This record gives sequence, C-alpha cells and structure tokens, in this order.
Amino acid sequence: MKILKNLLKSPFFVIGMGLFLITILVAVFSPIFYNIDIHTRVGAAYTNPGGKFILGTDHMGIDMFSLLLKGLQSSLYVGFMAGIIATVLGTFLGVYAGFKGGWIDDVITMVTNLFIVIPQFVILVLVSSSMKEGRSLSLIALLIGLTGWTWSARAVRAQAASLKSRDHISLAKVNGVGTIGIVMLHILPYLMSYVCMVFIMQTASGILSEAAISMIGLGPFDTVSLGTILNQAMRSEALTDGAWWAFMPAMILVTVISFALYMINTSMEGVFNPRLRK
Amino acid sequence: MTVEVQSSVAQTGTAPADKSKVIFEVQDLHLHYLTRFGSKIPAVSGVSFSMNKGEILGIAGESGCGKSTLVNGCMGLFIPPLYPTSGDVRVAGESIMNRTPADVRKNVLGRKVAMIPQGAFNSLNPTRKIKDFAADMISSHEKGSNKAEIYERLRQRFKIIGMTEDILNSYPIQITAGMRQRSVIAISTLLNPQMVIADEPTSALDVTTQKAVIKMIFDLLDKDIFSSMIFITHELPLLRHVADRIAVMYAGEFVEVGTTEQLIFDPRHPYTKALMGSMLSAEPGQKQKKPTAIEGAPPNLAKPIQGCRFAERCPVARKECRVNKQEIRIVAERQVRCDYAN
Amino acid sequence: MLKRYPTLYYISSRAVWYFITFLAAVTINFMLPRLGPANPVDIIMARTAGGLDTKAAMEKEESYLKGFGLVELNKDGSIVRDASNKPVQSPLIKQFFNYVKMCLKGDLGTSFLNYPKKVTEIIAGAIPWTLALQIPTIIIGWIIGNILGALAAYKRGVYDGVIFPAALLANAVPFFAFGMLLVYVFALQFNLFPAIGGYAQDLMPSMSWEFISSAAYYYVLPFFSIFLILAGGQAIGMRSMCIYELGTDYIKYAKWLGMKEHKIVFYMFRNAMLPQLTGLALSIGIMVGGALITEMIFSYPGLGMSMLTAIQGNDYPLIQGITLLVTLSVLIANFSVDILIGFLDPRVKAGIGGK
Repeated sequence: MKILKNLLKSPFFVIGMGLFLITILVAVFSPIFYNIDIHTRVGAAYTNPGGKFILGTDHMGIDMFSLLLKGLQSSLYVGFMAGIIATVLGTFLGVYAGFKGGWIDDVITMVTNLFIVIPQFVILVLVSSSMKEGRSLSLIALLIGLTGWTWSARAVRAQAASLKSRDHISLAKVNGVGTIGIVMLHILPYLMSYVCMVFIMQTASGILSEAAISMIGLGPFDTVSLGTILNQAMRSEALTDGAWWAFMPAMILVTVISFALYMINTSMEGVFNPRLRK
Repeated sequence: MTVEVQSSVAQTGTAPADKSKVIFEVQDLHLHYLTRFGSKIPAVSGVSFSMNKGEILGIAGESGCGKSTLVNGCMGLFIPPLYPTSGDVRVAGESIMNRTPADVRKNVLGRKVAMIPQGAFNSLNPTRKIKDFAADMISSHEKGSNKAEIYERLRQRFKIIGMTEDILNSYPIQITAGMRQRSVIAISTLLNPQMVIADEPTSALDVTTQKAVIKMIFDLLDKDIFSSMIFITHELPLLRHVADRIAVMYAGEFVEVGTTEQLIFDPRHPYTKALMGSMLSAEPGQKQKKPTAIEGAPPNLAKPIQGCRFAERCPVARKECRVNKQEIRIVAERQVRCDYAN
Repeated sequence: MLKRYPTLYYISSRAVWYFITFLAAVTINFMLPRLGPANPVDIIMARTAGGLDTKAAMEKEESYLKGFGLVELNKDGSIVRDASNKPVQSPLIKQFFNYVKMCLKGDLGTSFLNYPKKVTEIIAGAIPWTLALQIPTIIIGWIIGNILGALAAYKRGVYDGVIFPAALLANAVPFFAFGMLLVYVFALQFNLFPAIGGYAQDLMPSMSWEFISSAAYYYVLPFFSIFLILAGGQAIGMRSMCIYELGTDYIKYAKWLGMKEHKIVFYMFRNAMLPQLTGLALSIGIMVGGALITEMIFSYPGLGMSMLTAIQGNDYPLIQGITLLVTLSVLIANFSVDILIGFLDPRVKAGIGGK
C-alpha cells in the first residue's frame, strides 16, 4: 500500500485515474439519468446539437448522445475483457517462463516473439473479415486478448526472472514447496502491483484496438461501440458534411480514455523505476 | 603484504615540517548541500590535512560520514546541489577552488587530481573498447594528438604496468572484473596526476584480485606515475597494509588523524576505539577483544548540532560533550578531536 | 564451428528464427480466413451475384472457386462435383500446399472484386504510395523523436518542461483519432490542406512537376498525423533511457575523468539508443497498422485504402495478399533492426555463444 501512497503523490496518476474513473462512472450510471435509446428515429438525419438533442442525431436520425453512451459502455467492456484475458494469459506465461528458466523459458519466449512480430492488426483483420455474422463484442474482446498478451508476458517475465534469485524463494524450494506453491505464495504477491499496471495498459490497448478494428468496418456486428460510431461517420461522409457531432465526441472519448490510461502508466513507471524520479 | 614506512615520509599527525614535499593540501574545507527549500546542510565541516609525495592516506568511516562529498571537494568538482562554503584545496601549491567548471574539467580533473571510483568495474562504457574509452580521456585534455599516437601511448603505458594489448582491444564485457578494475586504475592515471583518490577500490572483489589491485597501486606509485593517494575504505585491516597515515571521519569532520600504527594499535578518540573494536579479524599486537557494534546512527546534519557530534553514541560521553564544540588537539603525537581523550 | 565467428553465428541464428516465423506467418495467413463457418466464396457470391442470372452466376462462382483454390479439379480443369452437383472442396492440406506453391511463384491470387485483375497487380499499384508515406515518416519521426527525448533528458529545465508534456500528449492520442482531428481542423475548417486522396482528382499520375507538387500537398496531413504521434512516443522513451544512462556509473566516471561534454552526450545517446532500437523492432508491427489506418482515413491511395475496399467488399484474395505482404515487411524490418543492434551492441553478441 506504500505504492498506492506514492502513486497518489504523482499528478499523472491522479489526473489519469480520475479521468478514467469518471468515464467508467458515466458509462455505468448514465442509464439512470438519461434514457438511452439507440433504435428509435427521433429526428431528421444529422440535425445539429441543441435543444432536445445534446449531441444531435446521426445519419439515421438516432439520438447521438445515446449512441455515444452505449458505445462507451461497449468499448469499455471490450477493453476490460480483452485486458483480463491478455493479462491472465501474459502473466501466467511470463511468470512460468521467468521463474523456470531453461528450455521452458526458451520455448515460451519464442512463441511470444512470434506473436509480437506478426502484427496483431493483421490477425484481427484476417479473422474478423471472415466472420461476418458472428462478431460479437465478446468475440472481439477474445481476439484482442488472445493476440495482445505478448506485452504483459514480456514485462512479467522480466520481473519474475529477477525475483527468482531472491533468497526467500530458495528457502521455499529447499523446504520442498512445489512450483505452483512458490508461484502463488511467494512470487505473485510481489508481482501484484506490477500486474495491476500491466492490466491497465492491456485494457487501454484493448480499447484502442477495438476502436481501430471497428473503425475500418470489422467491428461488432449488431452493437454500437465508439469505433463503430467513427466508422459510420466515415461511411456516411459526416466529415465532409461538417457534422462534427457525429464523430468528434466519440473521438474525444477514445482519446481521453487512452490518455488517462497512458497517464496512469507513466506514473506507475515512475514509481516502479525510481531512477526516473527527479 | 606489508609496507615499509620510510621515515622521511612518515608523518606525525601534525603539519609536515618540510613544505617542499607537500603535494596536496586541504585547508579548513567546508562544503554544503543546498536543499530544495534553500537551507544549507553542512556535509564537510573544517577538514584540514596535507600530503607528501609518495604518501598514502587512508580515510575510514561509516557510510554517510561525508567521505564521498569530501572526495568531490578534493577534486574541485561541485555539481549542484553541492557547493563549497569556504576553505582551500591546493595541488602542488596551486589552488583548485574558485575555478569555472570548464577550467576544472580541463585542467584539474584527470590531470592534477584523478579518481578511481567505487564499483570501478562497472565504470567502463559497455559499448566502447577499452582503448577507445581511454583515448577519449586523453583527447579530452590534450589537443591535436591523432588516434595512432594515442593508441601507441596506451600500449606503452599498459606494457609498463603489465597489462596486455588484448585488454586494450576488448570490450568491458569480454574481460574479467579484476581486469576491468585494473583498466580503470590505468585510465585514471593516464595523465600522471599528482593526486589519486581511490574510493573503495577493492570492495566486492575476491581476495586474489584485491591483492593484484593493491600491488598495481604500489607499482604505479613506485614508478612515479602518480605522486600520492587518498585511499577510502571502511575495511580497517586493508588500511593497515596500505596506508601510511589514517584519518577517521565522522559526520563531516576528521576525528582522529595519525600514523597507521598509532590509530590501529593505540586509538585515542572514542569513535576510533569503537571502530577498531568492531573489526572482526585480530591484528597481531592487538588484544583479543570481542567485536562490538557501535550503537545508533550518524547524526542528521540538517539540524544544527551543539557540542560533539559523536556525543550521542559515545560510550564515555560526559555532560560537557554535548555543549562544548570539540576542536582538534594534539594528543600522543596525533590529531584528536576530543577534549577528553588521553 | 560457427561459434568461432560470433557475428556470423548471430546473423544466421536470427535468420533461421525469422524464417521459421515467416513459415508460421504464412500458415496463419492461410488458415485464419478459412476458419470461419462461412466459405469465402459463398460470402462474396451472396453480395455480388444479385443481379446476375443463374448461368452467369454459376460461371462466376466457378471461377472464384478455382481462383481461390477451394475445389478439386479434374484433369481437364473443370470442377469435380459430387452427387448433388455441388463442387467438392479440397481438403485443407491440399489447399494449403496449393497456396504455398502459388505464393512461391509470385501469384497471390486473383481479386474477387476487380476480377480478373491479379492481386499482385493491385498491390503493385498501391505500394509506392504506402512506401512513400510510411518510410520517410517512420524514419524521420524516429530520429527527431529520439533527439527531442535526449535533449529533454540532458538539458532538463525548460526543454524538459516543454518537450515532456507535449510528447506525452502526442503519444497518448491514438493514430486514427489524430488523423481525423487533423482532417477536421486543417482541411475542413481552415481549408488549408486537402482532406482526401493522394493527389488532385483531375490529375493522372506522372512524373510531371504538377503531379509531384500536388502529391506533396496531399502528403502533408497524413505525414503529420503519423509523424507527430511517433515522434512523441520516441521522445518519451528516449528521455527515460537517457535519464537512466545519465545515472550510470560509467557516465559519472567519464565526468570524473574530465571528459568533454560532447563525448558524454555521445555516450549517453549511443547507449540509450540501443533499447530504443529494440523498442522500434517491437513496435514496427503496431506502427504499420496505425499507418494503414491513417491511409484509410485520408483515402490515401496506398495499401491501406486497398485493404479497406477489400474488407468492405469481401475481397478475400486481396485481403490475404495484403496481410501477407504486411507481415513479410514487418519481419524484414525486424530482422534488419536485429542485425543493426548486433553490430552496435557488443553485449548482444557476447550473450550468444560468442565469448
């Protein structure tokens, strides 16, 4: 918890975490305050914001604000799911490789490098483009998670490897504690804070990947996400029509989220790597 | 390994009678750190000593006693937040204080005073061959020599001190820690500085390598590649073998300065006594004592201290100790900073 | 035996690894589209066969099936059909070997949408634009970003106070968002730069000055939307690396030895650059993806646009061809960076059986 106190001292962390929490709160609690309706035509296409419609309407006359809120929920959902999958997978592989060393390490490292070098974007495009109907938010989250774990695997592996040579681990080994035991009881507690940072980054990257893939038209099939809003704006030429409300809010939201998470990451880097502190 | 102490070089604790042999002088040096809030922390308070040609002075003390700060001061290297308050440092009669940083870099560092840092074997640039790193050093101080000449000089110098050309052509990672340590010593002394300051040059090395390093130091001294040395360590047994004189430092001050024999076998200051008592190995001539730790920790110099700085932890402290500032007196032919040492 | 020549050993071991990765990539590239429940040909037929009569539709379907290598062929080239006259699908393994054979011959298939244009032809038309945009942008962005980061770390003070937050901001904005922002602000609101395309609509590609200057004009916004973000990211990373290097023992020692300032800066930069290069290798895959998306936003006539239209039109051979090419180039780029690092950092070679 000393780490938490240190983090709170950093303006980066406070701003970043604050923004992020606000976004989540908005996503979760907005239905209470606002009637989200993404299916009914409530006005003419591309009406300006003002009056009844805080953010105007989209190309089909649907309330833009509703779309935005729903999109936010979806994007956050995908981000978190992908983040969890990627973190769990990456942490497991990273700890195992870092701790065991030897040929297990070599094999896992090789697989990791394989997934790093083959662009995640490419895999997402290939898979999504061949699944026209079945693209749900969860599926996309799964895909992003399964291709994005490499970063956390690498990061966690480095930490685990440095912990491996510590004395209390050797003690545990001598006492006959098995690998799983050592990992659970002795390594993971040390890594917990690091894993949290990793999770935040993976979530950020998940949200961004989803937005990117949705923007080019390979997003979820029947739902709204921040990326699909952008895609729709592009397709309906909202850009050239000057209907800024059709894409600016979504874009700003994505930027804010990515910015907030990035801030958090910077502050955590500062805490975990003391040399960076002035 | 013992050192034969030449009578012409051996000092009593007092200032040398023969000024012409003095090569390094520190006169009442005060150094301070400037905190973010503008307050001054006195890191070194009134250190004075002088050294003759061919002499090795050992400085001993706990971590945080101000050794490293003193070292920076002795080199004229004042990087904020470290600043000189008052006092003078003279090398061969020339003062090295009150110079511009550019002047210090070009003329003092490496030329008059050189430093062998702690953890020397990590001090080499990992992506640069030894010969290139050394050449950088030379070309930073001398204009106009070409690469070929410099390499030749390096070869010659390394030959003189018994190191092979292979080492010159290697990267740090390709040679052993001991070789790196000796390379660092060679590089520091390339320009034949008058004074060399060695900060824990043998810590974290195995015993065989330690011996090789010390042998190299004596070798260089003999060949007149440098003229005198300050040897900093917290290992007193080492000082016994290496130093002519020893100065014990505590909380930014010298508390006792004298010959090696005097301090190791007949310490007078309570702190020196405690230090000797905390040694584990028994030196011949010393009574077998149980090693004792010194309780407590050095004082926080941010707060002004009244009286003796060691009073908090001194086993024989009296009431007066916490009130009266202790000055250096001559006791038993050496300098002691304690009114009550006998 | 090879261990005696560490450089050679290093290069060959990396080459072998990359080759294996390439094989894996080709396999993945092949397998993924075919994993879905739907047959790629069915999908495209569903979309485009609407207006054709049955016979024409069937012919089209056959040519697609053949082109995509999905079906068994008789000796005479006609499609093998089963009892209910439906084409028999080749087993996956056979399809795969067919695919590899075709690739080695340089034939990446025939585009569905632009039938009968070959995929390679379409790619060849788009590649110059992509290369012209990405390569200079990535190189210049990397160089300038690193220089700014080093400056911020070494000089501190005002430099750091300005560069650091600016870079942080630039780096946190996602590629596509930035592209859209630039389009909106500079193209639509202030009408300073064109929003769409690679060159003016009424011009034909040629080596004329008119064309080149037009292309340059259209180049500006896409360039900046990639460059600024890339430079920002590099600046942040380099700044951290330089701060780390400045605190190392050897830099302190160099200062104690009285080395000239420019030498110390050189040491700092050279050594901080190495992890940056590694980072570059890792992020080439991501950058290329981002750049492709940027192309899509600007309707820039490079591979990005080709991919977008291919995706929207379910043009599988084209999608597959582009992804394979992208993967291949990322691999080559990574390989080159690995070799470069091997030459610049003696510790790398020493780590692999060299000593």
